Formats: sequence, C-alpha cells, structure tokens
Amino acid sequence: MHWIALRWLPEAITSGSPEAQALPTPEALGWWALQYTPHVAWQDEALMLEVSACERLWGGRLQLMRQLVAANPAPDVRMLGTQGATSLIALARLRLFVREEKRPADMPAGLPLDTLSAAREHLDLLARLGCRTWGDVAALPRGGLTRRFGAELRAALDTAWGLRPESHAWLTLPDVFEQKLELPALAETGPELMWSANRLLSALQIWLRARQRGARSLELQWTLDLKRFNGVNLPPHQQLTVRTAEPTQDMAHLRRLLSEKLALATLAAPASWLRLRTLETDPWAGASTSFLPEDNRKGDRLHEMVERLSVRLGAQQVVVPSAQADHRPERKQAWRPALHMNSSQPAKSARNDRAAASQPDAIYPPWLLPEPLLLEMDGERPCYRGPLSKLVGPQRVEAGWWGDKEEGGQPAMRDYYVAESPEAGLVWIFRERPSARFSSGEVRWYLQGFYA
Amino acid sequence: MKYCMKIQLTVFAMGLPFLDSFSNAAGRGVWHADELGLADAQVIATGHAALDAQLPGGGWPVGAMTELLQAAPEAHVWRLLLPGLAQAVQARGGPVVLVGAPYEPCGASLAAQGLPVESLMCVRSEAPAARLWACEQALRCADVAAVVAWLPQARVGELRRLQLAAAQHELLLFVCRPESVALSASPARLRLRAECCEADASQIELHILKRRGPPLAAPVLLPARNERMAALLAAARLRRKLRHQQQGTVPAGETAGARVVRIDAWKGGQHALDRLAVVA
Repeated sequence: MHWIALRWLPEAITSGSPEAQALPTPEALGWWALQYTPHVAWQDEALMLEVSACERLWGGRLQLMRQLVAANPAPDVRMLGTQGATSLIALARLRLFVREEKRPADMPAGLPLDTLSAAREHLDLLARLGCRTWGDVAALPRGGLTRRFGAELRAALDTAWGLRPESHAWLTLPDVFEQKLELPALAETGPELMWSANRLLSALQIWLRARQRGARSLELQWTLDLKRFNGVNLPPHQQLTVRTAEPTQDMAHLRRLLSEKLALATLAAPASWLRLRTLETDPWAGASTSFLPEDNRKGDRLHEMVERLSVRLGAQQVVVPSAQADHRPERKQAWRPALHMNSSQPAKSARNDRAAASQPDAIYPPWLLPEPLLLEMDGERPCYRGPLSKLVGPQRVEAGWWGDKEEGGQPAMRDYYVAESPEAGLVWIFRERPSARFSSGEVRWYLQGFYA
Repeated sequence: MKYCMKIQLTVFAMGLPFLDSFSNAAGRGVWHADELGLADAQVIATGHAALDAQLPGGGWPVGAMTELLQAAPEAHVWRLLLPGLAQAVQARGGPVVLVGAPYEPCGASLAAQGLPVESLMCVRSEAPAARLWACEQALRCADVAAVVAWLPQARVGELRRLQLAAAQHELLLFVCRPESVALSASPARLRLRAECCEADASQIELHILKRRGPPLAAPVLLPARNERMAALLAAARLRRKLRHQQQGTVPAGETAGARVVRIDAWKGGQHALDRLAVVA
C-alpha cells in the first residue's frame, strides 16, 4: 500500500482577491483525484489517494506527484502533497509539512504524537506519562493502553504500523451532478449569489471532465430563508434554468449566461443555500482542431453570441426570418427567435418555402412595414409625403379566403402598385379591392414597403 | 505640404543615384496623399464599378468601419450594400447581423438579389447602449459575415471601440447615421454620404467624405434601382406613351429616352400570382 495525502491551503496566500480563492467543493476535488486512482477518500482535512496499484501507470511515485501538482484543479490555491506507507503516516507527514517541521529519522515511531488524530484527546495525559512520539505510545503494554484510553488509539497505532487492514468509504462519481452549498452570508440580490455559483460551476466542470460529458442545461436553485414576507407565503425555493445549444465544458460561457440571468432575477426573500444540478448533458466529443486558417478564426461561436444577446435583450429581440409559403407579403416570412434556430422545421417544407422565397423575378421591396399603413387620400389619389403617382401595376393578390383568425382574419384581395412619392422615392402600395361581402365599399390604400 | 514632400523625394532621387533603389523599395510603403491609397487589408468589391474605382483598394474595407450617412435611415442601404454583403456571406458563410434596422427587411426581395433569407439576423433594440453592446458582441463572433448597425446617437468614443473590434476580428462593419453628423469627427476609415440626385430621381449621388486619397471633386453617380426595376419602369413608361399615342395626345417630355425592354417574367417560377402584370 502506498498513500498520497493532499491538502489545499486557501489561507496560505495573502495576495490576490478573494474571488481568486474560490475553491471547488470537497466532493469535486475528490472527483478530480478519481482520474488518477479509483481509491480516493477524505480523511479529516486531507484527501487521501491510495496509489500502489496504479503508480506504474503514471510513471512512478515521483512522476505521479509532479503530475498531481501540475494539474492542480484550483490553480490559485497552494496544494501540498506528501506520501507514506499507510494513510496515517501520509497524513502525519502532511501535518508536519504544513507546520514546516522536519520529518523524523525513524518513520512511524518518531512522529510527534499530536499528528495522530486518535491521540488528540489524550495528549495531556500521554505527555505527563512521558510519551511524545508514536513509538512511545506503541511501547506501552497493550492491555493497559486499551483499558485506559479506549480501543481506538491502539487500533490507530496498529493501522499506522500496517498490522491492521484499513477501511475507507471510497468516493464515487455520481451519475447526475447535484451539489448544495451554503452561502457565506445571506444574499438579497441576484448578483450576490454569483460568488458561490462560481464555486459550484468549477465543481461542475470537474464532474463534466471526469464523466466526459458536456452540459446543455443547468438549474440553479436557491433556498429562501423566510417562509412569509410582507404577508405573502413564499415557496421554499426559487430557481432559474440556463440552456445552451451545444454541449460545453467551458465554464466561461455558462458563467456569463448565469450572471446575466441572475442580474435580471429578483429574490423573493434573502437566500441561504444554493444548489446546482444538470438537467441535460451530452457525451463530449472533445474540441476538434484544424490547421486551416478559415477554421481558426478567433472569436466566439455563433450560438454563444445568440444566447448572450437573447439572455440580455430578450429572446424576441434577436430574430431570424424563415420563408413561408404565402402570397401576402406580411405573411411571406415569419420571424422566429434566433435561439431556436436549430430546432428547424421538416426539411421538405423548408425547401419548398425557400424555393418560394427565392424567385428571381419577384419585385418585392427590400424594406417592409411590419403593418400596412393606411394612406390619406387627396381626392382619388393616395398620399404619402406628397401625392403618389402609380408607375407599375396592378399586381393582383387574392389569398387567405380559407383562413380563420390566426391565419389573418379575412381574405386579402389586393392590387399592388409600385408608386413614386416626391419625397420618399419608390414605394409599394396596395388598394383593397372592394368586394361585396367583406368591405364597406370605400376604396382604401395602404403602404406596404419602400424601395429605397 | 504633401506636394513639398513629393518634390523633396524627387530631388533626392535625382541628385543621389544610390537612393534610387531605396526610394523604389520604400515606394510601396509610402502613400502619397494625392493618390488613392492602397488597401492594407482585404477588401470586398462593392458590386458597383464606378464606386470601386474611387475606393482605396477597390472595395469595402474588411476589418474597418464604413460610415454611411443618409437623410432617412432606410434610404439606399440595400442598393449600396447588398452586393457586398452577398459576397461576404458567400465567402464566410455566416449571417449578416442587422442591429436596430428601421423596418423589416423583406427576405424574398433580398433573396432575389443574392442574399439568402437564412443568412439574416435582426437584433431589435431601441436603447442606444443596447445597440452598441449588441454590435460589439456580433463583431466578436467568429461566424458572423458582416454587421450593419443603425446608430444615430453614437458618440466618437463608442464608434472607435466598434472600429477596434472590427479590426481585431476582421469583419465588415457598416454604420448608418443621419446626415447631420457629416461635419463631426469620426474614426471610420471610409465615410460616404448618399442622397437622391436632384436632377434625376433614378440616380444616387454618393459623396465620399473621407477616404485614403484626395477629396473627391464630383460625387459618384449610381443607379438607384436595380436592373429589373429599371427595366420594369421603362416598359411601363413605354406602354403609357403608346396608349397616349393611341388616344392622340403625347405628353411632353416623355417622347425621348424610352427603350423597348423585354422582361423575362414568364420564365420559370411556380405561381401565376407572382408574375408581373404590366399595364399602363
């Protein structure tokens, strides 16, 4: 058996902002260590790795230690590591290392007694007996020691000498990421949750790397500290969901989305606990690389930009057009949120719509008004910034006679003209054709687009 | 002052023959202010030969801001920019992001002129700060082909920021602003002012306010309508004239200049409703 004890010392660095010291949760650090050996456990303050079976894989003990230090999951925090033949020896050496004391010459027997967890409550008595090292206590008669100090101390010494098998509850990697964290102080606004959410996100990154998956949607939930506030019963939790189009292990993008959402969120009451869990994850294929310069343009991906814009401005503000098979110009294209770009319609109808939209001989104006504008009349002539003179037309459109309310309400019977306005240039106008059933009889002209 | 520099250079070159090779070699890196500058980066042809001839490098500069000043926010934008945007989309394959467009762009019309519907993306926003932010985010994206932004209230410092972002990510950036800012300073490398020609409504007068080259004496004239529209208008005019002739009255001023233009309106397509019916 060979053990490595690891410990992170956040207080060891004095310089640097407090944000830099956000250490992932202890479970997450354990998941990180699981990539080196399947036998990982927390013992008191240290993370213990049992490496006798796998040290050859990593090129020996020294090499393994170097790799562990180089791959520190919290690069801002100093990580200390020691080794030993049993877990207690490794832990005792770690404690000596933290106190910056030299290691004794004869290994288990010369270790000072306060580095043994089981002896800590009896330190005064043992000191008065003249025992200062592990060897001194181990030399006491077995029966008397057990009767006076209990069985644990003797058992711990046996374990340290390797006379007794060790038993640990090994850490395992859960199937679903779900972590809870108590906030350092009650948070009253959304951005105050961000510091703890960062810790959870770095834990999530470790989990995703260990599982080789990419996150697609997350749920951040906070526990409200009050049951009633201003006479209103409050739910126990509030939550928000973050989604991204492509699975990712990159926390910078998720962090930006989360902070934008938290900036808009209102907390119903001060929050005390924070919980993060994954809703959807996909297998992670790894980032593909290419030597071609056009594949390696620097900058964000398109879906990242769309998500960032949508989360701050609102999904309805970032839109893409899609062609529709309809002859009424205001229904010829539909604007959909760009967030749902990928969940596209079936291929065949999309192809039909595209074909309908790209007739080379259609003379639609490049600018359309969102709603047709009713024009004022000067006798017989419609006016828009001056009297209009019709140049080309009519182009007759009859559509929508089948429709109900959401299909446009009533049939459209229109004669389209290209007309010229003295100030606005070429415009696209139409006349509602008087029909016996649907119109009041008067001729109405509408403006629909600009050729400018 | 620029002429003095040039004369000095010539004198040096004549008097000291060993400097000849030096001045030749340096000539490529020296821009004489009375000549049209060379593009130091990629350009995209504008699709209008008359305009290409007046622009440094012969096209819209990629990775720099181009400012377009017009009287109305919607005026002449597509006529000027569409061929260049279509080329950029073909070359880079991403969407064209329109930030704060005054009206809805009509996909069918743009598709007919070469810009596919699916390569459009609109960011609707009224707040100037949100428009600037969206613009910068779009510029930072690697998959975007070009950005067209309507920024009537932008300040110089904000425009400089956009200019830097465009230079960093090598994107086409067009900023549309009102005519009233023509006299204020701007970090744009190319500034154009477009207005309708007073004499002939079918022409756009394009004043180049700022470029790497001498100031432009006469504005560039570009047709304000695409070929199809121009042909359609000519045909309609001809019809009208014929009808007047049949009725025995020929209005003055419409006798000359009309050409017979054949419209291939019946070729291809699916729906009879979408065909054109030209009547006088």
